Amino acid sequence: MNARAREIELLFLTMLAAVPLYGTQTISAPPLIAFHLAMAAIVFRVMTGRSSELIPSPVMRSLGIAYVFFYVVDAAVISRSAISASTHLVLFIAAYQAIEASKQRIEAQRLLTASLIFVASVATSTHIAILPFVLLFGFMLFRQLIHLSHRDSLEAAQARAIEPPSKRAAGFYLCGTTAIGIFLFPILPRVRNPIVPGLVASLNSASTGLSDTINLDEQRTITPDATVVSRVWMSQEAIPFFTPLRLRGMIYERFDKNKWFQGPRDMASVEMHNGAARIARPSGFTRRATVQQRFLVGARLFLPVGTYEIDGIPQVYEYPRRDIYTAWQTRGDVINYDVWMAWSTSPLRVQRIAVANYPVTPAVRAMALELAGGQTDPMKQAARIESYLSTHFQYVPDPSKIGRRMSVDDFLLREHRGHCEYFAAGMVALMTALDAPARIVGGFYGGNLNPLTGYFIVRREDAHAWVEVFDGNGWRTFDPTPPSLRPGNAQSGLIRAYVAALSDSVNFFWDRYILTFGLADQVTLAAELISRTRQTLRSLNQSAKQTASRALSLRYLATLAAFVGLALIAFWIAQRRRPAFDLLCDHLRAHGIHVGAAMTMEEALIELHRAKPEVAAALAPLIALYEEERFSAHSVAAREVIRRRLSELRSVRA
Amino acid sequence: MTTLAAGRPFEFEGVVRLTRIGIAFLIFTIVIGFAAINTGNNALYIALSFMLGCLLLSGIASKGGLKHLRVEFDSIGEAWAGKVAEGKLRIANRSRIWNVRDVIVTAGELSSAFFIPIINRRSEVTADAAFLFHRRGLVQLNTLDLYTRYPFGFFFKKRRVRIRGEVIVFPQLLDEDPAREQFRPVEGELHSSNRPGIGTEIHSFRDYVRGDSVRQVYWKKSASLGRWIMKQTEVEAARVVHVVVDPYKPRNVSEEEFEQMIREAATFIYDALRRELDVMLSLPRMTLRARAGERATPIFRALALLEPSHEPVAQSIDRHSLVFAVRRTDERASA
Repeated sequence: MNARAREIELLFLTMLAAVPLYGTQTISAPPLIAFHLAMAAIVFRVMTGRSSELIPSPVMRSLGIAYVFFYVVDAAVISRSAISASTHLVLFIAAYQAIEASKQRIEAQRLLTASLIFVASVATSTHIAILPFVLLFGFMLFRQLIHLSHRDSLEAAQARAIEPPSKRAAGFYLCGTTAIGIFLFPILPRVRNPIVPGLVASLNSASTGLSDTINLDEQRTITPDATVVSRVWMSQEAIPFFTPLRLRGMIYERFDKNKWFQGPRDMASVEMHNGAARIARPSGFTRRATVQQRFLVGARLFLPVGTYEIDGIPQVYEYPRRDIYTAWQTRGDVINYDVWMAWSTSPLRVQRIAVANYPVTPAVRAMALELAGGQTDPMKQAARIESYLSTHFQYVPDPSKIGRRMSVDDFLLREHRGHCEYFAAGMVALMTALDAPARIVGGFYGGNLNPLTGYFIVRREDAHAWVEVFDGNGWRTFDPTPPSLRPGNAQSGLIRAYVAALSDSVNFFWDRYILTFGLADQVTLAAELISRTRQTLRSLNQSAKQTASRALSLRYLATLAAFVGLALIAFWIAQRRRPAFDLLCDHLRAHGIHVGAAMTMEEALIELHRAKPEVAAALAPLIALYEEERFSAHSVAAREVIRRRLSELRSVRA
Repeated sequence: MTTLAAGRPFEFEGVVRLTRIGIAFLIFTIVIGFAAINTGNNALYIALSFMLGCLLLSGIASKGGLKHLRVEFDSIGEAWAGKVAEGKLRIANRSRIWNVRDVIVTAGELSSAFFIPIINRRSEVTADAAFLFHRRGLVQLNTLDLYTRYPFGFFFKKRRVRIRGEVIVFPQLLDEDPAREQFRPVEGELHSSNRPGIGTEIHSFRDYVRGDSVRQVYWKKSASLGRWIMKQTEVEAARVVHVVVDPYKPRNVSEEEFEQMIREAATFIYDALRRELDVMLSLPRMTLRARAGERATPIFRALALLEPSHEPVAQSIDRHSLVFAVRRTDERASA
């Protein structure tokens, strides 16, 4: 790769580093586009063999000095954010360095700047789509670093050599770094700085489909948004009782000028017991569920209907309205917690519940009375109204098709069609006409079961409004919107459903185990590891004991003894069948004479004679006997005699 | 492989040194680490994990790569003190995992560092190395230093490897001027040696003895006398220079003076051989001969290994011998 190609790759690397910033809200698009255009112009100049000096260096230096003042203005007035202004500054530096590169070698500084930009991109990206960028950036960065290392080595050694290709090396080190990174990620300490709070907060400002008020004077528009709001796991036996899911996060109970408002602001901390926040009193069937939720409105919790206890959040507040709960969490976009759900719940404290302040007209009252059909129990009244509205009124999925401003009375008495907020508001109006406390609840409804992971996915497009009616003990849920037309009931093909499920599973993994991996997960992981290690050790211990007990049983002992006996017999036979030469060698070795491969027994005897004449004298007849057996024409069976005599000599010596 | 100019500013003591890029990367990593802990942002933790992984892998790779390098001394040409000698080193990478790149090899005996762009895993390369020895004699090559910045240039790693090699370094040859001038008269010196030996001129006649070559039969005289008469040729003294080197070094003579004498002798012999003269070198208990045009390696090897003697050594010389010896400073004799 020549110098020009290397330079172009470095320029592309810098451009790539800034690409993920388009998907975040760290800085606006115009400065990013300007940066990419400037870099593209530099790339073009380099590709056509010209200098990278897009702007003359003196002008660029003047701009650099001027930017110091501009930075202050940018931070204070234009972007009004130190993070945005700093990102602008780093982008400017990257472009400046690319131009300055024609004058001096600053590749290392340029790589550092590109890395800074990329870290800013990564830090503000919350989607898994950042991963391919990370890998590509890592690959290109490693290639550049390998090249720099090569160049610096050549300069240090004052050498010239052709640089070997670095694609495979960069790929290899990328894999290695990824492997180490995956290992390190869960064990890096998640101990937050208690003194200086972090700068990162929720960057998610997209529309939720939920708002603080239901303004029936405004044209409502709903755009499909598949962003996942929440994932909920529950056991198989719980599913029939607690689905379709309803995640409640808004309560509208005051009416004024064709608008429904939330109740009065309130804040009360929820008492924690063993790390769990009890928010209601359960009755009936209870089950645990696990929730992963993305924050949409501050740190507000969208709890499944029926929740009476929240586990896994350090502190829960009843905020900003009564019966609405918020977590104490200032960082991150996603939270994980467990909830306990009951078939029915009642408030922990006795509450004074007032009837909604909807101005009931005689026509509405007449309609309500007619629908109640003489029932006096609010639950029965509510059931009849719910049934009537869901069967006799028409649901309009797209509110823009209604075409005009419409009041609740219009909906009830004339139009007989509308979206879910009209249905909910209409039912609350009818219940108010019957003097029964009722309120509109906003949240999410339904969700799809992901068959790959077994959780329910609730998306932004599942935003919905329904009704809660007070039965004297607690709030009961009613939903007058026709069930088949509620959110989340759109059908899709099997393949599409599975692709969506797979995509969401990957997203879930990213959200759950990467973005929201925290200290609690580390503790859980450590506890799990310790537990598994102990379990393994225990099972090993048990299996060792079992093996030992088996080994000590009579049958095994007998088998072992038989094997040992057989081995001893074999050894004894082998010893008795050893040649006379070996027997004599052993005896000589015991007296310090090593009979080598090129040594005769005669020579060994001479050596022994020098060292121990008396032993040699005793051994001489045996050696003569051996030699006679070995070399004489008439064979003599001397081995047994030698063996026996040597044994006697050993015993005498002992 | 490329041989390089002298001067090794990169060398350092110890095992590892952080480079400028490494320092910048380390500071950057610390800053990101602080930001990650401060914000609890897991995206920053991802970046931090990668950066730490990068640092760790860089250290492991450079250490693991150098660790598995084995260097063997392959060959070397004639090595003269003070003169660059071309040699070869075999460098094998026995690692199963790591390719090693950008290896700089240095040693005290190398005239300059040399650079190896890549040594793939489980392979070896042969590198040309330029050796420079400052003293004659037997030189043991014991260690080489290997340096690398690979893979990312964060660390400059060094490893000292053992190497087994012996080189006999011939004495230094003096420059053309002025030292060699004193040997000029030797050239073209023509006089009779008056000694029987290999040559073309007839020295005398004698009777045949067993082992004589029939080529030496003087047919004419043999026919007239009726017995075998052989021609005895005379040694061509004009083509032979007899050099005697006296290793005696009196106590008041410095090592340098003794070495200078050896250099002068070596230079004389070298020049004589270049001028197509045969050379006979006499040392205590040893006489070596080199014919013109032949390699005189044994002679120079003997000079290379000649140790000074602190006692006078008896050596036979004749009137034509050129004696190299050191005496007291004021009476040193040569040719």
